[in-house]
Amino acid sequence: MDILEGLDELARRAREEATPVFGVSDAVRLRILSERPQTVTLIPLGLFGGLSALAASITLALAVQFWSYVTSPVMELVAPLPAEIRLW
Amino acid sequence: MTNTAGYCCPIEGMIEPSVPMGYNGPVENTDWSDVTASVQGDDEAYGRLVRRYEKPITGLLWRFTRDPAQCEELVQQVFVEAYFSLKTYRGDAPLLHWLRRIATRTGYRFWREKAREPQEMPLPEFDVLEQIEASQDDAIDPAEAATVLQALLGRLPPDDRLVLTLMYFEDCGTLEIAERMGWSRAKVKTQALRARRKMKEIAEREHLLERLGWTF
Repeated sequence: MDILEGLDELARRAREEATPVFGVSDAVRLRILSERPQTVTLIPLGLFGGLSALAASITLALAVQFWSYVTSPVMELVAPLPAEIRLW
Repeated sequence: MTNTAGYCCPIEGMIEPSVPMGYNGPVENTDWSDVTASVQGDDEAYGRLVRRYEKPITGLLWRFTRDPAQCEELVQQVFVEAYFSLKTYRGDAPLLHWLRRIATRTGYRFWREKAREPQEMPLPEFDVLEQIEASQDDAIDPAEAATVLQALLGRLPPDDRLVLTLMYFEDCGTLEIAERMGWSRAKVKTQALRARRKMKEIAEREHLLERLGWTF
């Protein structure tokens, strides 16, 4: 028998080998669940964004409103003192 | 929506199965319905596919490693990879062919990764030939024959080993190997020729026929 024929014969016998079965379906399902990309739900994200925008608007409106009441500390320095105020 | 093979394709964006040239058998209807259900997120349908094809896929991957733990890990990898690629399955060949392609590439990747690792000591399977005494023609059982053959193939580089593994164990022709691996047929032919020459040298060096008692 030629060596290559011997290898072919060995292969023919090897093909008859009974191979094991592991029962991987549960393990595969678990791995798929762990590797499946999590879908980000857009509703809470949108709600959060909307609330943030609302809060920012309110803060801005209040800030503009209070800005008009603020007097400059520099102006206070150059402004003449009222006559009626006694310094000492 | 119904294709030429008469199967429905309910999933938007999923490619309908078609019957290609060179393929006469239709995709199993049960397979296709389980595939579409799996793509829609039905885990039980995918579980059915796994159970249906686990045996042949394990049989193929058993040729890449005889370590049960490694083999099981590879089988799991194949089915996980297949799940995430299921949308690309066009149904133009049986699902098993598609799974075998993924399994072959997974096994090949496994070999390449192992080949990069430094070999600390000779693999135990390399001693298998030492254990086999010159024996009667019928004395070698299929498992022993597979162990010997895989030990011999293990001495080849991954590309050579892959071509001969598929030829010897899966009875694949050059065209099928080329399709599975995405290689050209010419490359597979050259690889097969070179691999068989190397394998012959290894078998001669090991006095394979004498050890098997096949010197007739």
